[in-house]
Amino acid sequence: MTVYSFYIFDRHAECIYKRRWLPRPASIAGKSGQSATPAISAGGGQTVRATDDDSKLVFGTVFSLRNMVRKLGGDDDNFVAFNTSQYKLHYYETPTNIKFVMLTDTKSPSMRIALQQIYINLYVEYVVKNPLSPVEHPGGVGVNNELFEESLEQFVTRVLS
Amino acid sequence: MRRASRYPLGDVTVFSLIIINKAGGLIYQREYQAGLRSLSTNDYLVLAGTFHGVHAITRSITPKLPLAQTSPATTTPGGGGSAPPAGYSYPNPGIAASGLEHLETEKFRLTCFQTLTGTKFLLFTDPMTGNVDTIMNKIYELYADYVMKNPFYQLEMPVRCEAFDRHLGAWLRGRT
Repeated sequence: MTVYSFYIFDRHAECIYKRRWLPRPASIAGKSGQSATPAISAGGGQTVRATDDDSKLVFGTVFSLRNMVRKLGGDDDNFVAFNTSQYKLHYYETPTNIKFVMLTDTKSPSMRIALQQIYINLYVEYVVKNPLSPVEHPGGVGVNNELFEESLEQFVTRVLS
Repeated sequence: MRRASRYPLGDVTVFSLIIINKAGGLIYQREYQAGLRSLSTNDYLVLAGTFHGVHAITRSITPKLPLAQTSPATTTPGGGGSAPPAGYSYPNPGIAASGLEHLETEKFRLTCFQTLTGTKFLLFTDPMTGNVDTIMNKIYELYADYVMKNPFYQLEMPVRCEAFDRHLGAWLRGRT
């Protein structure tokens, strides 16, 4: 299973964390080197702009779909995942309206539990319980927490793939 | 025609069907079983328009995987969205990037089928329902037979074809 990207949005629709994993293409996979490269280090103005736009587009998508699902299924309904021919988007929303979104390949099983685990074991433990981390994120500072990022990296690379 | 081949899946719960034209307008909406909250006509029109937009966005946020270690600055942006930009490939290269196809929630499953001409069929079923594609193909077949072959039907306009209603209703209700 491949994880393409992961986003956290706070209750003010602000993207407070985003991370992309770019797997190496199959043709050069045999070469040595890291299997995951952060998107920002891929360079180029286009990539940076694309990632920035992506988080807004992802938020717009999950926000619209969530509202649509609530309208149709009732207020206690929640949308879990959707897939296209190319990827699958998993969604988990905490009772405090923090939204966790993960894009994976189409064949992946439901990641609801995994997203819940990221929230409970990583986000709550390292970000919420950190007295120095801000509660609100105005201006897009986001989750800037080494411990959280490292554990997320480990969780995604070891547990999920 | 044998009965068994007509109902290959056994129990299937279809809540409702929505057809959206290529411009995002609602052209058909019917409920077949209770289970979802019924909305006003206005809300359904809004839903159709919203879904049309979301469908386009879900296609554009398809992850792009770099093909090789070439400088991204030299690549040209791809046109239309169906073909990846040069220097990038989509996760499933052989297949064109599509918009949302299946949406799962706790209470229902939404299947979207887009025809080559851009018309979208939205089918709301029970989450337990298995092979929805068969149902979708049959609906498309009925649409082709009773809507597109109706000489009085104006393209992109709301579907008011009694024969379509009747056959679709009989088929969807008959199979559950």
